[in-house]
Amino acid sequence: MKRRVVSLWFPSMSSELILRKEHYEGPFAVVAHIKNGNRLLCLSTMAEQRGLKRGMGLADARSFCPEIQTVEHNLQADVAFQNSLVRWAKRYCPWVGKSGIDGLYLDVAGSAHLFGGEDAMLHDMRARLIRSKLTVRIGLADTVGAAWALARFGEGCAEGGRTGQAISALPVASLRISAKEDTTLQRLGVKTIGQLANLPRATIGQRFGPSVLMRLDQALGDQSESISPEANPQTYSTRLTFPEPIGLAKDVMAGVERLLLRLCEKLTQDMMGVRVLSLICRRIDGADQQVELRLARALRDQQRILPLFKKGVDGIDAGFGIDQLRLVATQVEVLQVEQVAHSQTQYNSDGLHDLMTRLGNRIGLENIQRFLPAESHIPENSFIVSPAAWSESVGSWGNVNPRPIRLFPPEYVAARGHRPPNRFNWRAMSFTVGRIIGPERIAPEWWLEDENWRHGVRDYWKVETLEGHRLWMFHTPQNPNWFVQGVFA
Amino acid sequence: MDVSYSAKSKLVCAGGICMSYGELCTTSNFTFLKGASHPEELVTRAVELGLSAIAITDQNSLAGVVRAYAALQEIKRSITEDISIRSNEQIDHSSRQVSQGTSISRPELNKPLPKLIVGTRLVLEDSAVHWVALPKDRKGYEALCRLLTLGKRRAPKGECHLSSRDLLEGCSGMTLIAVPQEDYIDAADFIAAMARTYPSNVFLGCAPRYDGSDQASFDRCMELSHATSAPMVAIGDVLMHHGSRRQLADVLTCLRERCTIDDIGKRALPNAERRLKGEQDMARLFLNHPAAIRRTQDIVTKCNFCLSELSYEYPTEAANGESAQDRLVRLTHLGLKRRYPNGTSERVQGLVRKELELVNTLGFASYFLTVYDIVVFARSKGILCQGRGSAANSIICYALGVTDVGPETITMVFERFMSEHRGEPPDIDIDFEHERREEVIQHIYEKYGRHRAGLCATVIHFRTRAAIREVGKVMGLSQDVLSGLTGQIWGMSGNVVDEKRIRELGLNPSDRRLGQTLRLIGEVIGFPRHLSQHVGGFVITQGRLDELCPIENAAMEDRTVIEWNKDDIDTLGILKVDILSLGMLTCIRKCFDLITTHDGPELSIATVPQEDTKTYDMLCVADTVGVFQVESRAQMNFLPRMLPRTFYDLVIEVAIVRPGPIQGGMVHPYINRRQGKEAISFPSVELEAVLGKTYGVPLFQEQAMQIAVVAAGFTPEEADHLRRSLATFRKMGTIGTFRDRFINGMLERGYDTGFADRCFTQIEGFGEYGFPESHAAAFAMLAYVSAWLKCHHPAAFACALLNSQPMGFYAPAQIVRDAREHSIEVRPICVNNSNWDNHLEKRTDGALALRMGLRQIKGMRKEDADWIVNARGNGYHDIPSLWHRAGVTSGALERLAEADAFTGIGLARRDALWQVKAIRADTPLPLFNDPIDGEAINEPTVTLPVMNLGEAVVEDYVAMRLSLRAHPVELIRPSFSNITPHAELPNVPLGRVTVCGLVITRQRPGTASGVVFLTLEDETGVSNVVVWAKVYEHFRAIVMGARLLKVSGYLQREGIVVHLIAQDIQDMSYKLSELGHPMDNSVGETLPQADDAPRARASTSAGRAFHPRDQANKLFPSRDFH
Repeated sequence: MKRRVVSLWFPSMSSELILRKEHYEGPFAVVAHIKNGNRLLCLSTMAEQRGLKRGMGLADARSFCPEIQTVEHNLQADVAFQNSLVRWAKRYCPWVGKSGIDGLYLDVAGSAHLFGGEDAMLHDMRARLIRSKLTVRIGLADTVGAAWALARFGEGCAEGGRTGQAISALPVASLRISAKEDTTLQRLGVKTIGQLANLPRATIGQRFGPSVLMRLDQALGDQSESISPEANPQTYSTRLTFPEPIGLAKDVMAGVERLLLRLCEKLTQDMMGVRVLSLICRRIDGADQQVELRLARALRDQQRILPLFKKGVDGIDAGFGIDQLRLVATQVEVLQVEQVAHSQTQYNSDGLHDLMTRLGNRIGLENIQRFLPAESHIPENSFIVSPAAWSESVGSWGNVNPRPIRLFPPEYVAARGHRPPNRFNWRAMSFTVGRIIGPERIAPEWWLEDENWRHGVRDYWKVETLEGHRLWMFHTPQNPNWFVQGVFA
Repeated sequence: MDVSYSAKSKLVCAGGICMSYGELCTTSNFTFLKGASHPEELVTRAVELGLSAIAITDQNSLAGVVRAYAALQEIKRSITEDISIRSNEQIDHSSRQVSQGTSISRPELNKPLPKLIVGTRLVLEDSAVHWVALPKDRKGYEALCRLLTLGKRRAPKGECHLSSRDLLEGCSGMTLIAVPQEDYIDAADFIAAMARTYPSNVFLGCAPRYDGSDQASFDRCMELSHATSAPMVAIGDVLMHHGSRRQLADVLTCLRERCTIDDIGKRALPNAERRLKGEQDMARLFLNHPAAIRRTQDIVTKCNFCLSELSYEYPTEAANGESAQDRLVRLTHLGLKRRYPNGTSERVQGLVRKELELVNTLGFASYFLTVYDIVVFARSKGILCQGRGSAANSIICYALGVTDVGPETITMVFERFMSEHRGEPPDIDIDFEHERREEVIQHIYEKYGRHRAGLCATVIHFRTRAAIREVGKVMGLSQDVLSGLTGQIWGMSGNVVDEKRIRELGLNPSDRRLGQTLRLIGEVIGFPRHLSQHVGGFVITQGRLDELCPIENAAMEDRTVIEWNKDDIDTLGILKVDILSLGMLTCIRKCFDLITTHDGPELSIATVPQEDTKTYDMLCVADTVGVFQVESRAQMNFLPRMLPRTFYDLVIEVAIVRPGPIQGGMVHPYINRRQGKEAISFPSVELEAVLGKTYGVPLFQEQAMQIAVVAAGFTPEEADHLRRSLATFRKMGTIGTFRDRFINGMLERGYDTGFADRCFTQIEGFGEYGFPESHAAAFAMLAYVSAWLKCHHPAAFACALLNSQPMGFYAPAQIVRDAREHSIEVRPICVNNSNWDNHLEKRTDGALALRMGLRQIKGMRKEDADWIVNARGNGYHDIPSLWHRAGVTSGALERLAEADAFTGIGLARRDALWQVKAIRADTPLPLFNDPIDGEAINEPTVTLPVMNLGEAVVEDYVAMRLSLRAHPVELIRPSFSNITPHAELPNVPLGRVTVCGLVITRQRPGTASGVVFLTLEDETGVSNVVVWAKVYEHFRAIVMGARLLKVSGYLQREGIVVHLIAQDIQDMSYKLSELGHPMDNSVGETLPQADDAPRARASTSAGRAFHPRDQANKLFPSRDFH
């Protein structure tokens, strides 16, 4: 059977994708960094009316139209959107492929009649896309090349078997040839596909090599071209159905063990590790019980995962019995195969991770945190607290100036002078100063606005009191005051 | 390590005798992207703090020391002369913008001025110890220069590769202070070794860090000092003159490390303590080590080298046992005989005697001889050259043949530019043909050797645009905002970035981060960024140049550069010879050659007939395309009003259309007086002598200086100081005081305020773009010669002009068009007739026709062209024969076909291109090298569609940027109605008129407050369009971007000058794509020198009727290709 290919082109996909979510008053454009400069990638109609063009440098565009609003191009979002369009297009036929970054191919041979013929189907497509605020150009022909050409150069529908006539008047550029080839052909006076097709084949090959001829043949159907439909993303899930409902936690665990074994094999094959697992137990009365397991790091070792399910499984209400178990890896990560180390020097963090998982499944994984050094001179900013499961520990803190073991918000101390007072009261205790070391002067990070540093520069002193405390005190010379901010061990 | 500082130091002021502190280690901003203060600021701050000395020690460089020296001199002078320095304004030379910058306020003085110590911080490749090297005397300084030269000459530009070994060998005569960077223990061996090599000259520097461990580190330093027997000395390791520069220092760190301020982390300065500190502060910090402070003073007393000691020796230029002066006298008299074959007049003899005497007293004879020798060398190689500058217009130079402008044409007197009290070197610039200047430069290197001759450096500063872009990036402004800010700079005047513009960009000027950014941008403007080479200023010495200043490699091959720039050299009184390049000289020489080849007389600049009436007639009607200096649009408008009739008129013409006189408002009074609309009067009798030749209006820099002397009561020294303040000390802003003195001086002598004001404004204008009479005269000479050539040998002139491209104001299209308007036949490019250069062909009627050369073809290489010409023989009869015989690549053949160069062998452009396209290999295959009948491959014949005229014209523009066939507007015209051709403009009744044409110039002069001047071209001629600022705002995008414009407005005529005042402007560029060619954006490209619009425009081809897919395809090579 002859193929019938629909080519869909969304000329302003990037900008419409954004405009669908957010409203912009006035001219608007999507900007991407191309060829060493920020350039306009996609424009709203209003921006086009102002004389802006695709590919224009942003700086130029601004001088042409100072009020233009721009958004950075988000390639991932575009790809995701194109993927969803692919899924949508599968309502018309199973063979859907991507064309470039802003178009689709559909092989609708044999499925058009389901929608009442080709015209009705195209009408339906257009109506639905317009309703979702997308500009679309549609071409329909016997070949991929011709459909592409028709979509981008003058929208149209080539009747079956009449592709040649339908595209002969289109410019040579519609053959998907390079810009350079297009220009050269035009300079030679060959402006349409018809003219090109009429030239002796050998002369074209001699001058342009095989690529132009290939594109011409593809468009006219003399050379085949396939549409490669997108594969579905890999999923990781296993299922176990029982002939008789089960109800004991021990039995469920036995089931989970089998499921895990299969799941982990699959993960090992793809070099993946699981981060979040979900166990769904289908009860015979239809109510599902679900156990979610979040791991502190990606794993695919069933020996270590299995015991972690223990607590969750204990909490399952089996009701009248469970007749199916499903184990789904809802979040996976790439996990390379690792060399197993036997030497003692290797630091083995497995135990710690298991502990984190165990605790995390009780109190929430994000509640287990660790300190990490941060690049800043400001004591308050010199560390960050981050969830332990999503960060790696760094070996040493490498600080030249030792910081107190406990740091707290500055607490005011009544004292005067540039040097630590001989006697002072703090937290309702009175102290007599012994040795002092300092000062270390730290100025606020001027590029940030920090309410805590409104007193300006701080001179830090290490103060040893005769009472046995070692305190970290500072003085703010620009706004004379004394504070205690930390305690050394 | 307990107790540290006491609040008040008792030791220091013991017995009421204060110990003094000298700062021995400061990093100025000549350690690029590190130091955060100008050397001037550091010195001024040192004066304020009352330091006993300050050493400027940049990293492996002496580039900043002269600035510091000059600043100190200036402060000294301001104290002795009681002139307070108070202006805070600073001018960004590049963008002509005034910004708040370096300010030097007059310091409170209760102490002697600090001593300036010249020094360097030596950073080694193989050691973590930095060494501050402070020369003790001239010998030490020479050693330091040699050491730095050694390191720089073996490294690429801008770097210096020194090792510890170099230091152990070449550091005699200096005080050396070790500054260990990391571990003290590792440093010990090296320091000990140095201390052994240079006994009692090695010290250990100890800088407070204010990080809480100062006392501990001082103590460790002390230990190290004991171990290595290098006494400990206190240093500040200063980065900035004032704590407020900490922010800028952090920004510079970001620039250096290529990160944003939010990622700077611990690379930021923890505090502002690396500022210059006074002795009180230092004494408090070094309370436990008072000897370290006292020792700074020991070092200060030991380091007695001062830059003024650089007794610079100019090459003697004595030859054959003859002293320089004798040789100069002999050569001058020889030259006079040649110049005045009928004997010299009494006046000339008197002049010569006087000048020679003065040269003798000042000892500049060898300088004149150097210039003479260079000129003689150039002449021997047939390189055209001309001297200019004040001393160049002396009778000595006239006699020596350095200049051809006779001294009688100039009003100036010799001693005005070379006087005894000025003690400043004379100033001679020599212009050479731009294509052959390198020969002269290499000759100088060869003659004097690289150790004796070097080019000056030019300090590249942060300019407004770069400052916005770079600081903005560091501060994390988005690309959007940045391009917005920089985009707004075009044609902006006044302050850095004004608030209104910021609001227009949709930004909030009160935003904290933005405010900081803008302030930092303002601070960084004027900061040096790197050193580059001066266009042609040579410093030549008798002895070793590398003992005068470090020499480094330039980016260009075979060039070596010293570290100081022109101003620094002026400050130190070092002579330099400017070897400059000038395109017009190339053109004139080529024109002379062409005339000689075609049976004309043999000419030189000196023998071109003077005061030719026909030439002046031509100048009066502004027929000056291609004529030197008077071809710009402003000049063309001015010529018909000026109506030059003699050489001196041309001198004025060249000097008057300049920012100085325009800002000073001198143009209108002058022209009114010249045209007799205003009576010629002189403000006073004394000024009549000064301003006589210019109808009482000061136009030249020299006149302005003389006014200062004659009318404002300045002494010659003061006037000179004023001039120097304008030129050299712009940064320090001493102008304000002079202004008061100048104006008061004039008022006291009975001049009116308006005149005084105007004079001073003009002097200020001169400061930036000074144009002295002597320069104007030299330029006027070339203007006259080129005008004479254009008038009498138009074909040769046009040909030479085309062969000297790129130069001048106009593109080849306009030059060719002008030639054709002067009824010169221009013949198209042809493979059988054209050479690489354009040349002249004799027509049957005896006239000369211009044959365009292969150089006019875009992308053609000279090598290919030469092969084609050399293998031509009796001509080529088809494309394969050309390919086989000349052996050029298929690319070159394509260029030729595109340029329609095969018409001569009977192939139309398209057919030629079709044939050429079939040749895909770069060299012919051996089998087909000699095609025997019947063995060549027979291709089926193909009939391509005929190229229509529109396509052909565009093709011409694509290949050659010009067309001999038709003008694009001619083809489009039928589709318009009501368009007046440009040729009609002088005749149509005044009123509303519409014109249409290609944009050839687009200018927005800084002196014209936002007005844009456009020149449009159609097939009949050009029109001048004036767009007032208001109209421009409205049509901004069109005016900036369009290539083809339709403009409606009112006509204004003044004499033969016609202006169209634009009211409505339409972009017609899309019409060009109707010519039916894919590459129509080649039509209407402008040259940068004729177009002020941002350059990116050309690449985006705005205004073309594009299908969106076209653009998408151009940008993203379609991903359908596999």
